[in-house]
Amino acid sequence: MISRTAAIAGIGATEFSKDSGRSELRLAVEAIRAALDDAGLRPADVSGLVTFTMDNNSEIAVARELGIGELTFLTRIGYGGGAACAIVQQAVLAVTAGLADVVVCYRALNERSGRRFGQAYASPDTDAGWHVPTGLATPAAQVAMVARRYLHDHGASTDDFGRVTVAARRHAATNPHAWFHGRPITLDDHRASRWIAEPLRLLDCCQESDGAVAVVVTTVDRARDLPRPPAVIAAAAQGSGPGQFVMTSYYRPTVAGLPEIAVTGRQIWAQSGYRPADVRTAMLYDHFTPYVLMQLEELGFCAPGEARHLIADDGIELDGRLPVNPHGGQLGEAYIHGMNGIAEAVRQVRGTAVNQVPGGGPVLVTAGTGVPTSALLLEATP
Amino acid sequence: MIEEVVARLTAAGETPARAGRDPVNLPMIRTWLEAMGDGNPAYEQAGIAPPAMIQVWTMRGLAPSPVEDPLQVMSDLLDEDGFSAIVATDSEQVYHRPLRLGETVSVRSQLEAVVGPKRTSLGEGWFVTTLSTWLVGDEPVGEMRFRIFRYKPGPRPDRSTALRPMITADNAAFWEGAAAGELRIQQCGECGTMRHPPGPACPHCGSLKPEYTTVEGTGRIHSYVVHHHPPVPGRRAPYTVALVDLTEGVRVVAEYRGPRPEIGDPVRVLFDDGLPVWRPDVEVLGPWELAVTPTLIVSTALATRDFQNVHHDRDAAVRLGGKDIFLNILTTTGLVQRFVTDALGPATDVRGIRIRLGTPCHAYDTLTFTGQVLPHGIEVVGRTAAGVHVSGTVEVAS
Repeated sequence: MISRTAAIAGIGATEFSKDSGRSELRLAVEAIRAALDDAGLRPADVSGLVTFTMDNNSEIAVARELGIGELTFLTRIGYGGGAACAIVQQAVLAVTAGLADVVVCYRALNERSGRRFGQAYASPDTDAGWHVPTGLATPAAQVAMVARRYLHDHGASTDDFGRVTVAARRHAATNPHAWFHGRPITLDDHRASRWIAEPLRLLDCCQESDGAVAVVVTTVDRARDLPRPPAVIAAAAQGSGPGQFVMTSYYRPTVAGLPEIAVTGRQIWAQSGYRPADVRTAMLYDHFTPYVLMQLEELGFCAPGEARHLIADDGIELDGRLPVNPHGGQLGEAYIHGMNGIAEAVRQVRGTAVNQVPGGGPVLVTAGTGVPTSALLLEATP
Repeated sequence: MIEEVVARLTAAGETPARAGRDPVNLPMIRTWLEAMGDGNPAYEQAGIAPPAMIQVWTMRGLAPSPVEDPLQVMSDLLDEDGFSAIVATDSEQVYHRPLRLGETVSVRSQLEAVVGPKRTSLGEGWFVTTLSTWLVGDEPVGEMRFRIFRYKPGPRPDRSTALRPMITADNAAFWEGAAAGELRIQQCGECGTMRHPPGPACPHCGSLKPEYTTVEGTGRIHSYVVHHHPPVPGRRAPYTVALVDLTEGVRVVAEYRGPRPEIGDPVRVLFDDGLPVWRPDVEVLGPWELAVTPTLIVSTALATRDFQNVHHDRDAAVRLGGKDIFLNILTTTGLVQRFVTDALGPATDVRGIRIRLGTPCHAYDTLTFTGQVLPHGIEVVGRTAAGVHVSGTVEVAS
């Protein structure tokens, strides 16, 4: 098994902005250099590069710019933000199998100043052809269909969605790297924000960002010899559900669910030997607020339809029952396709986060929701 | 400047009553009915005017108004400010009682709202809303909320950029059906399992014999979305998209047209431009296809005492950017009334006509009306090849 065979030894990022003013390739180079510096490694130590199918920077271009030289492991994972934890899983497989010593996982995007994912997009994909011509042409609208049914099935309200953003913005307010640093919101701000795709308001949608994040993966044995305390990968899982579509899984019996998240969750608990109650803090992918509630249910933190009770009374805020996204998440910090959640999980394991959650339990990370997805569970060395 | 004038007009409140030029009279009613092609005998039998004629009684004709008209003042002011183009967007008429022959009608109006500048699909501009009340003596007999949009023309939304289906060998049957006005759902040629969206194989029995069955197209709403933002090519927001549980047990996503739905509402399919569309599964009226001739446009304009040149002078209409003369709003209102009373019978008591105006209806267009009978009234849509000319609700007393 791969559990506890590999660790994240370094993390790096650019600043998070609305207009980086430089190329995505340069952002990738900057983030990877920072991650290698953090790990105490040099470009020449890297033998594997892994990224998202959606990333515009080829592994070979990145290798050239960094002066990496030879690579023995190059691969990509599809399905947008669902790839975030899966690319780390690829790195784990590579270092565990001995195909590479050090693998860097990266994602660099000018999502705000370049192509904005929130705009209507005529995907050439056949599956999308069932939905886009009907006018269901944006991620927010595609999520809204599931969100409406969730409200209906479980008696939740749009305020329950708003509480997710209130928590994220509270956390971002004290994170100097967050776009929304110093700008918390109230539930009334959420109620007053304009409709994007009912029942989703503007403040149910994550921000759009320019930036890059990279993480360095190697074996636990090698990581122990590096300067930073290793964030051991106790579990790494990928998952797709039955009747899976990209953002439009409307044809399976339960529309208001994320069975692909449950697929990753079952593997995470089985690989690591932990249970949901052991988790100290969770980095849940938060491009749209309703999916945070549904993840809490699918991962076993509460029963189906009960997430609104878990998040009530500040339950997912820093001093709550399960602090979620202490960095502010994609709603508050930046939208780096889930990779900034992995970096925060590493800081939480190291004990160096600006909003540090006390305790010794493992830290969970999830990836894109509504798509084939992935998850990680990180912990400190014993 | 705009703010000052708005403040002055708002503070002024209602204008003094301005009397109509002629009392309610049979010759004008007959001319109006004839121009509209409305054969409803009920009005003459009862000695009353068609409700949709209410504005005609106080039209100024070619004479300048003796009292300041707040709509005209705001419109001229915005025109001077560079908002050179104008469209009427809404006309909401409510009729308190029928007008009887011999009654003299007067009108008072007031500025209700000036909102802007707003960015729309037409361009940036201002919405101006006025409220008019018609009186017989001191008795209010009807009222109208009327809204115009004064704007700087921007690039027009292009329907040709609308997002189209991806047609492949595996889904062609569905889209060919939609083009032919049928809802074709894949059914396995071996085990008979139905499935949507279709594909080359049966996930149930593994056979590679995809066939289809044509279904009636009824079902219930499983979930829905009201899209507001960002703009989607070829669409005017807000619009609704619904996920529907077909009676046969599979789900299909399509645009939904109708009043705001709820989960569980019954719907039925219609087809527009090769795409399925959901509508409430209620009694429908029409379609009624009307050939819009120059004679219709000119005779109705004059019968409604609307002498603006764009409704009778082709050269003037073209010079102002139109492709030909086009229907005036009073006529559109009258045609909406005719459509409903023709369909429901001459005894139909029309209490209100609230319409939203879209693309102009030009000479030589075919104007097709359809309607849906809903608890709050008759939802009517009138379309030309260029798009929706009018949509709205006709309230009738039961």
